[in-house]
Amino acid sequence: MLVSLKALQRELPALTKPSLKDLCETIASLGFPIDGVEQGPAGAVLEVDVTPNRGDVMSHRGLARDLAAKLDEDLSAVELDPLEEGEALVPVRLEAEACPIYATAILALGALQATPPDVRAFLSALGSSPKDLAAVDASNELLHRYGHPTHAFDADKVQGGLAVRWAREGEKVVTLDGIERMLTIQDLVIADESGPIALAGLMGGESTKVTAETRRVLLESAWFEPRVVRAMARRHGLHTDASHRFGRGADPGMVRIARDLLAARLKQWAWASLEGAWTEGHMLPLRPAITLTKELLQRIAGEPLPLEDAAVKLRHLGCGVEENHVALHAVPPSWRHDLAIPEDLAEEVLRLRGYDLISSALPPMKSDPEPLSVGYRQRLGLSRRLAALGFHQTVTLGFISPEADARFADTSAEGRTLGNALSYEYSVMRSSLLPSLQHIAENNLRQGAREVRLFEIAPTFRSTSEGPLERATLAIVWAGETGGRDPLTPQGPIHPAALQGVLAYLGAEGQVRALEGGLLAAEVDLASIRGELGRVIPTYQGFSRFPAMERDLSLVLPFMVPFGQLAQAIRSALADAPLQTLTCVDIYRGKGLPEGCQAWLLRLVFLGERTLTGAEVDGWVASALRAAKSLGAELRG
Amino acid sequence: MDSFDLSLLAPEITGAHAQFPGALEACADLGALNRLKGAYTGREGSFSAQLMERLKAAPKDQKRELGVVINALKSEWESALKARQAQLEAARKAGGSASSAWDATLPPPIPPAGALHPLNRLMARLVEVFRPLGYHVEEGPEVETEEHNFDGLNIPEDHSARGTADTFYLAGHAHLLLRTHTSPVQVRVLKRLAPELEKKGGIRFLAPGRVYRKDEIDPTHSPMFHQVEGMLVGKGIGMHHLKGTLAYAMKALFGEGADVRFRPSYFPFVEPGCEMDVRCPLCSGAGCRVCKGSGWVEILGAGLIHPNVLRFAGIDPAIWSGFAFGMGVERTAMMVSQTPDLRLFFENDQRFLKLMGGLD
Repeated sequence: MLVSLKALQRELPALTKPSLKDLCETIASLGFPIDGVEQGPAGAVLEVDVTPNRGDVMSHRGLARDLAAKLDEDLSAVELDPLEEGEALVPVRLEAEACPIYATAILALGALQATPPDVRAFLSALGSSPKDLAAVDASNELLHRYGHPTHAFDADKVQGGLAVRWAREGEKVVTLDGIERMLTIQDLVIADESGPIALAGLMGGESTKVTAETRRVLLESAWFEPRVVRAMARRHGLHTDASHRFGRGADPGMVRIARDLLAARLKQWAWASLEGAWTEGHMLPLRPAITLTKELLQRIAGEPLPLEDAAVKLRHLGCGVEENHVALHAVPPSWRHDLAIPEDLAEEVLRLRGYDLISSALPPMKSDPEPLSVGYRQRLGLSRRLAALGFHQTVTLGFISPEADARFADTSAEGRTLGNALSYEYSVMRSSLLPSLQHIAENNLRQGAREVRLFEIAPTFRSTSEGPLERATLAIVWAGETGGRDPLTPQGPIHPAALQGVLAYLGAEGQVRALEGGLLAAEVDLASIRGELGRVIPTYQGFSRFPAMERDLSLVLPFMVPFGQLAQAIRSALADAPLQTLTCVDIYRGKGLPEGCQAWLLRLVFLGERTLTGAEVDGWVASALRAAKSLGAELRG
Repeated sequence: MDSFDLSLLAPEITGAHAQFPGALEACADLGALNRLKGAYTGREGSFSAQLMERLKAAPKDQKRELGVVINALKSEWESALKARQAQLEAARKAGGSASSAWDATLPPPIPPAGALHPLNRLMARLVEVFRPLGYHVEEGPEVETEEHNFDGLNIPEDHSARGTADTFYLAGHAHLLLRTHTSPVQVRVLKRLAPELEKKGGIRFLAPGRVYRKDEIDPTHSPMFHQVEGMLVGKGIGMHHLKGTLAYAMKALFGEGADVRFRPSYFPFVEPGCEMDVRCPLCSGAGCRVCKGSGWVEILGAGLIHPNVLRFAGIDPAIWSGFAFGMGVERTAMMVSQTPDLRLFFENDQRFLKLMGGLD
């Protein structure tokens, strides 16, 4: 909301004293941060951020009222000349509860009209260009100054009586912005005999618009139900100064006053004469008193605050307050729709006192703390291990395009698709992290990265009849060439087995897949990763303190014998031997071997519960060799 | 060798002997050493061979004296050559080969390090900050119900946040949406806890996570972002407890100078509500670009839990009270790191990740 400093000072003269900076801080301390200050031809204009619960602050008077309460100063008087009400000149029927009160007047305009220069400057400063039509400019000025939206119809264009009613199916109205709007039965309208002539609380209609030719005006000052106005503004995409104020709750107490102020301006600016003024309906009843106990106030404030002081503050805000030594009872003023429960009153007391004065203490630790969940620690642990292995954690959006999803999906995208996606490209809750990681890896390679090591831990989604089912998932992508950055690590391609090794190290079972462009990828459900997360350290296994005996065996075997078969044969041959590990430490496939053969360098480590003798180890190695020979192996010379 | 009378020898021999130490030192590898060995102690044509011939041809009365000198000379050469050979062999063994011997002025290779994502790193840090206060981590699904995301949080039925312009809804599951904040975790935890609250005596937890709002991607917006929510429920909880907790957390996060200040604000699920500023961690309050000269930066929204939120979960607000707070992770990460564009966090350029992430 834009606020002219000069106009604000007119409502609260005491504001001429503090510096602009101090004033801005005071406004912010009330809960309305200043988003900016601009110096214009009519002085400083402040951009004040008003929270949506405070419709009553959406005017100069409204903001001044909060400041007056905070600073304990008096607002300037409103020059009010109440109109004498009489018989209705035009019948007004209130057919919907959403409009309980409607004040109006008809005035005949003089031959000349002029908007005073200070009002023109005021409107211009707020970015609302003066129209030089007294009724329009005055209505506008009143809205910004007092916060109550009003409207003027060209009285001679209104046909017959008025009704405030729900629109009928199929009715239309052309609003002042020239747009024809199709109405529904949820639209509250002002109608005459010809049909709707205005959207209640949003905008007037073209057919009864005030122009330079207008001779008589019919004024409208009413109160419309905030919910109804909000819904209409949303439905019609029509967010106006009026809808913002009615939508947040206007002050029903201002209905007659705003009409009177508008009429007074027309008399001054357009030599208008009153033909008649009248009001249909009734003022909303005041709401029941809210009780704030001393105990609750103390709990919220963190210290005992005298109820008398609290009562003074609430009275400053316009509440009718009665207090005794245990509680106060406050009736909120007609403009404070937001005050409904005792906590609201406590907040007002603290707000005027200043949140700075709230003391600071740690709450008592009455409840037992709980440990971090296994899932959380698993994700953090995996992330740290992968980062230590040279992988970079990514964060990508949870939704992707249906095509990207389909490449890895194991369930239909139906049930995982958004009804109102930002765009097609972001419309499906992904069933795999790989499309996103692949995209990121490709981007990095295009940017010149030699090697890309990425991982992400995030939920993936499966379609079920109840909706998307989430699974915590880990995906890894490794691409480019590894090594070659220093003299010790030669450059080379990344072997799928290296990624398989990473998975094995993490305790994850998963298949390494080769994606386009030489990317290696793997994806695993975190629930499938084994590990002793519940334990601080694993169960004691026992180990031998005797020296291990190591033997290397170089074997030439046909290609058709895989390592697994060879290892199994040797293991079964050594079933009774204390064979601790059997590993392949080298594979040779070069010159000097018989056609169709490769050489395995196997390492056997024996470890027993006693010192092993060379002779017995030699015997086991001989058994191993016999087992290998049964598969066609020859000892490599 | 000064103890020997070298004048008995030919001038080319004494010259060669004078050059020997320098030549020996200059041998960088075993090949060079072998060539030097050949020249001094080889069987044929070497200086030793020349000396032996000289001895053979010498008059008998000189032979004895000359023999002593020649033997001394030869054995000195041989033992020096042997020592040098051992030296070079040891060097070869240590370095693999002379050519790959590590140049000590080369920077040693640092193992290739990866990194945690800066946003995850900040969230993990916040969890660490709150651990000493007894907060654990609670999590909830990203696909939520309207009940958890809105109804349970006192958000009016016609609130604009519920509209399809602000919130993503699932097609075919009208009541399901992508959570717009981490606050539905509050609703889930409170509902779960309600029956045993008296026994437990309260609860306190953090809920970090990913949330979605229908914003176009631009330098300050993303349709997916992160929040860290915190909640405490107990008896007699007031605004001072909220302030004390957050003041501790900000000091733990930013250091001792991290003062905080509260400003009134409005969120439907708290009453009273506030926003909290922290003394600008970059300029310590002196005024800079990040705090726009004010010395303060907005860091989170908070307040005392609205009685309707407790009631919705089946908890009596006359007995129980508490506070909640929520921090935008991207916003804070951008502020502390001065990252100029939110999109950098989701672009995942490895150079950015390496620089901003680290390992912790």
